Amino acid sequence: MTEESNYRTDVTPIWCPGCGGFSLLSSLTKTVLPNLGIPNHRTLVVSGIGCSSRIPGYVDTYGFNSLHGRAVVIAQGAKLANPDLTVLAIGGDGDFFSIGAGHLPHAVRRNVNITCVMVNNFVYALTKGQTSPTTPYLQRGEGPFLSLKYYPPVDPILDMVSYSVSTRASFIAQGIATDPSHLAWLLEEAIKHKGFSFVSVLAPCVTFNPPGLFKTIRERATYLKEGEPVELPASWTEQPWLHDSSNITLALKLAQSPVAEKPHIGIIFRGRSA
Amino acid sequence: MVVLGNLLQRLAASIGYSGQMPRYYGPQIRGGASAVKLSLDTGQASVPADTADIMICFNWEKYIELEQELPLGKDSVLFYEDAPPKEGIVLPEKSFQVGFSEISKELIGKASSKNMVALGLLERILALPESLSRGTEIEDEASALLGKNRPALDAGRRLLLESAFSELRLSPPQNPSPKVVLDGNSAVARGAIRVGCRAFFGYPITPASEIMEEMQERLSQGDGVFLQAEDEIAAIGMALGASLTGAKSMTATTGPGIDLMTEMIGLASSVEVPVVIVDVQRGGPATGIPSKLEQSDINHAIYGGHGDAPRVVLAAYDLEGCYRLLIESFNISEYYQTPVILLSDQRLGQTTVATGRSMLEADYAIVERKRPGGEHREQYRRYEKTDDYISPMASAGDEGTIYQLTGLAHNEKGRPSFDFANNQRMHEKRCQKLAPLRDRDDLVKVFGKEQARKGIVTFGSSAEFVLETIESLGLQDEIKVCIPELIHPLSRRLSGFVNSLEELLVVEMSYSAQLHHYLRSQIDLPTNTASYARAGGLAFSRKELSGPITKLAG
Repeated sequence: MTEESNYRTDVTPIWCPGCGGFSLLSSLTKTVLPNLGIPNHRTLVVSGIGCSSRIPGYVDTYGFNSLHGRAVVIAQGAKLANPDLTVLAIGGDGDFFSIGAGHLPHAVRRNVNITCVMVNNFVYALTKGQTSPTTPYLQRGEGPFLSLKYYPPVDPILDMVSYSVSTRASFIAQGIATDPSHLAWLLEEAIKHKGFSFVSVLAPCVTFNPPGLFKTIRERATYLKEGEPVELPASWTEQPWLHDSSNITLALKLAQSPVAEKPHIGIIFRGRSA
Repeated sequence: MVVLGNLLQRLAASIGYSGQMPRYYGPQIRGGASAVKLSLDTGQASVPADTADIMICFNWEKYIELEQELPLGKDSVLFYEDAPPKEGIVLPEKSFQVGFSEISKELIGKASSKNMVALGLLERILALPESLSRGTEIEDEASALLGKNRPALDAGRRLLLESAFSELRLSPPQNPSPKVVLDGNSAVARGAIRVGCRAFFGYPITPASEIMEEMQERLSQGDGVFLQAEDEIAAIGMALGASLTGAKSMTATTGPGIDLMTEMIGLASSVEVPVVIVDVQRGGPATGIPSKLEQSDINHAIYGGHGDAPRVVLAAYDLEGCYRLLIESFNISEYYQTPVILLSDQRLGQTTVATGRSMLEADYAIVERKRPGGEHREQYRRYEKTDDYISPMASAGDEGTIYQLTGLAHNEKGRPSFDFANNQRMHEKRCQKLAPLRDRDDLVKVFGKEQARKGIVTFGSSAEFVLETIESLGLQDEIKVCIPELIHPLSRRLSGFVNSLEELLVVEMSYSAQLHHYLRSQIDLPTNTASYARAGGLAFSRKELSGPITKLAG
């Protein structure tokens, strides 16, 4: 097995202590890349702009910290021109769901064999705390999700699970930064999947998330296990079903549960490999 | 009508005639006004005359839409189908009403062969051998029509007209070897294949789409990558991604697409990744006039984007240039590791030209990007300082040369760096590495007598109109012409040309005179400098340019 140090550059991350980015970085460099045994030079990490997009500088593979929202297009171009490369597109919720959202459905339908990792910290952090398309929607003054500093969002969120299931991505998973070993397993499965794979990483922003947001997410999060009953939001009356990640209809049902009410952690849908 | 022109041009080219055939069309999706103007030359392909010797009109209503671009001359021989509207059209003396549709209906029950009847008529008037259209190999839908429509062609040939039109018989071509027929967009695509472009990403847009369509066809036959992207941002982004792995990569678009690509062009300049962007300019701003020419993207090509992001801008002015300069664009982009924008325009891109095969068969040097050798493997520094400011570039996938790129200001290793001195050095690197291009004299064309003290600077498709107007006025000895193919960085040969003048005229199709202002920003122009600049939508004519050129001569 290759050592973790072989996959880390000597660059110190700019992230705040406790940032979800560290969890993704250690999963990748300590577990995923060594386990898969992919040589450093055969790997390309493309990112956009944002906190999580600084990651290529920290991973000792080919890397490109590119433009806001455009990681997924650069990644596709590179993979098409050199199919021997393992290509990851990494970015935040602003990257993939706001400025670059127009590229995602096309990446999905082309099913180019790349892995897209969206680090969802529910906020624009690099620009100091503005609302993102995934910042939970609540009335001002309501609930645990409200930042003390900023006005709350007035629009509903774009939900990663419902979005990617509805566009029929061929591999959809959601991990959580507080469980890096499970996240590592998800990433390995995603990279091994032949086709477009989309992994959401629920991550805390220790600086700009309102107090309690990530704590609530973590408390409500439950793991999806093949053949076992799924947990549903408390408000639902429907009977839980047995999780079957190969069943798109069940994935569409899972996608109805809002991430803030019931974050599902695990492989949500895995279609046939291309 | 386009099919008629296309077939006549190809038939004539097959026995050695050259010529140009610009296309005229409006905003219709299908079935609207369309026309072509075709020159048949015994020697070099020339810009068609302002007014035609022979005009065929099937539909006056549609003709009126395009009349500005296709004026009737009083000496034109006109064949028309329906009686012209009572007002607005003055028929020339030699006008003949011919029932093209009627003849077609008699033969096949519908009017769809009327263009074949007209082709037969033209074949006879021009004295093209009858065997020509009989012996044509079927290459595509248009040539297949020749075989299927023999009776219509023959009927056209047999039309009884009151004049023999012997003055319109073509003289034999100077060189009877068959000519190749292609347009600027096709020349760009063929140049790309010739230079080894392996990856094309595009998005449909008039008048550049044909480049994408031809690249799709050509790349799908080899090991190339072709993809029609979701927008122009994705198209150039994918090209950058492909280039990162070592593939020669390009995209093609026009004004609005260049707008969208601007941020990526800045990124490519900053991270020094080669990419070629072809801009087939059209009327702007905004949606403008998509189907007509203009030359108003110079500012954007040179300066578009925030920050200082050096890039190279080339401009073709004829068909051969579309081919050769596309090869040159890749050579420069790969060698200097910088984005190169090749400017073409609607006129160049969509005018089919019958010309000698030599441009396709000539030898062209092919330049590859500098790659790291063994000595770099120990401690590879992507942006290593070198004497010529060009650092060897590893491809993603190469062993031993891993690096990370970033659009952030970066140091020699490619690591983010906000150190001022480093930032200054990196700006200098990206700018100074292009300096040798200023001595590329071969990318500046000069015509006329060196001792002339009056001169014109023009570029792109306007250049051929300028040259032909000077020739038709017999002013070759008094006025010299400089056509820069390298627009940016500005070449020394162009400055030298301007410095040799007492009087300068800058001719371009841009309302704000972008070329003139660019030159003024770079060179001390003569006190006697005039600008002839106007908005696009209508090609220049010899008649129009005679004014400013005569004034310069006077």
